[in-house]
Amino acid sequence: MNWSIILQIIISGFFLGGVYSLASMGLTLIFGVARVINFAHGEFLMIGMYISYWMWKMLGGIDPLISLFVVIPFLFFFGALIYWTLFRPVMERTDESKIALTVGLSWILQNLALIIFTGNYLTIRTSYSDSIIQIGNIRAGYPNIISFISVIIMSIGLGYLITNTSVGKAMRAVSQDSEMAQLLGIDPNRIYTIAVALSTAVVGACGSIILSHLYVFPLVGSPYTLMSFVVVIIGGLGNVKGAFICGIVVGITEAVGTYFISADSGVMLAFILLVLVLMFRPRGLLTKGHM
Amino acid sequence: MKVVKIRNKKLVCPKIYLFLAIFILLFVLPLYLPQYYIHLLTMIFIFAVAAEAWNIIGGYGGQFSLGHAAYFGVGAYTSTMLFHYFNISPWIGLLLGGIVAVLLSIGISHLCFRLRGPYFVISTIALAETLRYLFINQRWITFGARGMNIRYIGNAPLYFQFSGKLPYYYIALLTMLIVVFVTYKIINSRLGYYLIALGQNQDSAEAIGVNSFKVKLIDLCVSAFFTSIAGTLYAQYIYFIDPDAVFGLSLSVQIMLFAVVGGIGTLWGPIIGTFVLQIASEWASATFGSGLMGFKFIIFGSILIIIVLSGKKGIIDIFTTLYYRLLQTEQKQL
Repeated sequence: MNWSIILQIIISGFFLGGVYSLASMGLTLIFGVARVINFAHGEFLMIGMYISYWMWKMLGGIDPLISLFVVIPFLFFFGALIYWTLFRPVMERTDESKIALTVGLSWILQNLALIIFTGNYLTIRTSYSDSIIQIGNIRAGYPNIISFISVIIMSIGLGYLITNTSVGKAMRAVSQDSEMAQLLGIDPNRIYTIAVALSTAVVGACGSIILSHLYVFPLVGSPYTLMSFVVVIIGGLGNVKGAFICGIVVGITEAVGTYFISADSGVMLAFILLVLVLMFRPRGLLTKGHM
Repeated sequence: MKVVKIRNKKLVCPKIYLFLAIFILLFVLPLYLPQYYIHLLTMIFIFAVAAEAWNIIGGYGGQFSLGHAAYFGVGAYTSTMLFHYFNISPWIGLLLGGIVAVLLSIGISHLCFRLRGPYFVISTIALAETLRYLFINQRWITFGARGMNIRYIGNAPLYFQFSGKLPYYYIALLTMLIVVFVTYKIINSRLGYYLIALGQNQDSAEAIGVNSFKVKLIDLCVSAFFTSIAGTLYAQYIYFIDPDAVFGLSLSVQIMLFAVVGGIGTLWGPIIGTFVLQIASEWASATFGSGLMGFKFIIFGSILIIIVLSGKKGIIDIFTTLYYRLLQTEQKQL
């Protein structure tokens, strides 16, 4: 076993896992605070990705990271809209209703994208699309590195928001005990809206971030939905730091599977890991309780 | 409040006459219908079997499984592989597929039934996807993503192949009626009462002594058995299966969709739901065709969202409420 191969796998795992981490932090937020099981999670990533693509196409090749300034506010308001129109009536209902609702939403979003953008795989090119850093035997593409750095910055930002701002503290309070939070004067609807909007904004930003090295098509979000759920359950529903760490773990698992077994085995390994966690520690590997 | 005196009780349950009429229609109509409609109805019956089977554990039992394609695929592949490799009649393959599905469901029960809510849903998805992956990758035996063809041997009733469409129609119709009958029998038995109890509130049911694991296990086995039969019917009618079609997540979700839209936790709900959605989908494909591919899923999604937002349990619930409101009589409480 070559050291450089192991290192290469780990680095690839970090790159893969970084995106999973950020997407999963969004999902764990929406689940921990608003108790919504959002099966349309990946579709917001897809929307963010398409926005970045079209900005790149229409505005003369601007970097997807610059389009974040458009993607994040747009998806924030879109998420708030979705909450107010679709989620609010079902907040008190069973989990199954919410699952059915978000599944319906995901179908609508996917197929609207199919109709509007066609099913073609679209990709962008930037000045650094082909650049690679090579240290010894380890290779890493520039787009991947930049994506990873973006992910880290956003994760730190999100973490700061949750721990140090009053909004973040309100969200944590609602996720722990929403009735008590209400008694203390926190408006649950406002917090739910912010949580949902933040979640969609974060995962939409993921889409922009990965556009530099992946192609966009209507179904691009589906694997991220599934993987986000896997990561969030392994890390503990509602646990933001857990989601971040487990995202990386799942990314490394997928890289290991891709190298040693086959290209699509990575997802399978993640599922096996999920089933193992569900069997032996269903509350998640890293929870001590709540966010 | 107006008091309406109902003299003739039969007026209050025209349902029976309606059903009788529909039954006779279904049995006689195909002799006069063009092939396309027979095909449409056969497909509806096959998926209705799966939806009704899902409803046993998903609707009444409240175990929202999004991995029922696992049993569907098991049924389809068992009968097909037995026929392909050993020339065993798919009628036997039908039963063996059901047995394999039951064994699989026992395993899945032990893994998943201690989980609740979203955990359970994700685990069922994971298991179905794992099967799909296995069947794609073990190419040496399952032909992988290329799929398997059912060898055409002409008119061979003993081998579940017929030269016309009508035999498939009647077999599918009969199977659908059998599943409804089985569901009816389960619901009205003690097992059924336990199931509905734990479907509404598992903790309360356990508190009064219901062995929730055993009840869920038995019902999942029944559900898996009939779903796999639907899979075999599908394989024998379409003559082609592949892992994405029979193990795919979209199939699992569609099965759930048919049951939820029609009426989750009702006897005829899944049947109605399958009828409505399949017909809507055919209409969408015909009207919008290749220009707006995917429109049918937008319709599916919208219908699903409308049903969920309405707070009713599906089309059956909506019509029942309207019906009683029209008659201004008191609705029977469950």
